[in-house]
Amino acid sequence: MNAIIDLSNKRILIIGASSGIGKQTAITLSQVGSKLTLVARNEEKLKMVLDDLEGEGHDYFVADVSDVAVIESMIKEIVEKDGPLDGLVYSAGVGMAIPFMQSKPEKVQSTFNVNFFGFFEVVRQISRKGRFNPGMRIVGVSSCASLRGDKSKAIYSSSKAAMDSAVRCMAKELAEKEICINTVAPSMTATELYNYYIEKYGKDSKTNKELLTRQYLGIAQPQDIANAIAFLISPAARFITGITMPVDGGLTTC
Amino acid sequence: MTDQEKIAMLEEIWELDEGTLATDTVLADVDEYDSMAKLSLIVLMDDEFGVKLTGDVIKGFKTVSDILKLMVIA
Repeated sequence: MNAIIDLSNKRILIIGASSGIGKQTAITLSQVGSKLTLVARNEEKLKMVLDDLEGEGHDYFVADVSDVAVIESMIKEIVEKDGPLDGLVYSAGVGMAIPFMQSKPEKVQSTFNVNFFGFFEVVRQISRKGRFNPGMRIVGVSSCASLRGDKSKAIYSSSKAAMDSAVRCMAKELAEKEICINTVAPSMTATELYNYYIEKYGKDSKTNKELLTRQYLGIAQPQDIANAIAFLISPAARFITGITMPVDGGLTTC
Repeated sequence: MTDQEKIAMLEEIWELDEGTLATDTVLADVDEYDSMAKLSLIVLMDDEFGVKLTGDVIKGFKTVSDILKLMVIA
């Protein structure tokens, strides 16, 4: 068999691996041979994800990456224990709907800490000499919200747009180190966040019906996003860097 | 916190003139009470009172008084 995506023995770090897209990505990457190091705040949830993985050699690390001060020591410890990295998936993120006029500075700060500053610092730390193998690939989980304007999304959208914009710049500098970096931009995906959204608005609500009109292939499953990540993190995508790839059921065509 | 102080909070987030709302104001009669106003209410209740409002609870609000009853600091 000539598998397009083969990550046998590649050490991939997944930040935000305990739920949603991060969790599904971990399961998917383990199925194509990766050895994973999972990071999240909740140890119990991480252990449950570990139980779902295929193969051996997986590891986990408990940390809250919204505190950027812990990132350098975390990366050092992970590399010392698990070896240099072949890839990073940054899936940590928060995304509450907050009307602009209630978007106080502390809310902006706390969202950016997780969605952007954590990502920025993790990429910086893993890209230091000795911490990665040649050909390392990085995928950040952004959002289609970064590409569109919407009410109550000023904080979330700008935090993801910051991620996309940084990636375009990082790609140019990191190419010298044979590192490629991209983001995926999912639209609404069936995760806990979507369940919260449905609980808040209701499945038959006007808001949800309008969403499904724009996102005309339906609600994405975490597997849809994990598949796109698996491609971008693999050597098959070696000629792709600095992009934001929508995985959006048609949303950005509307 | 008095009812008047709570009403002032609602008037502020919905950008209504002071004195627009009273405890017996029917929400369906308030033009500004739309989906964004409901979202503003969700954020206010969470931020200030630690109350997580669901769609069903919001649907049950008929008058301002119904909201005030949940505006209790834990």
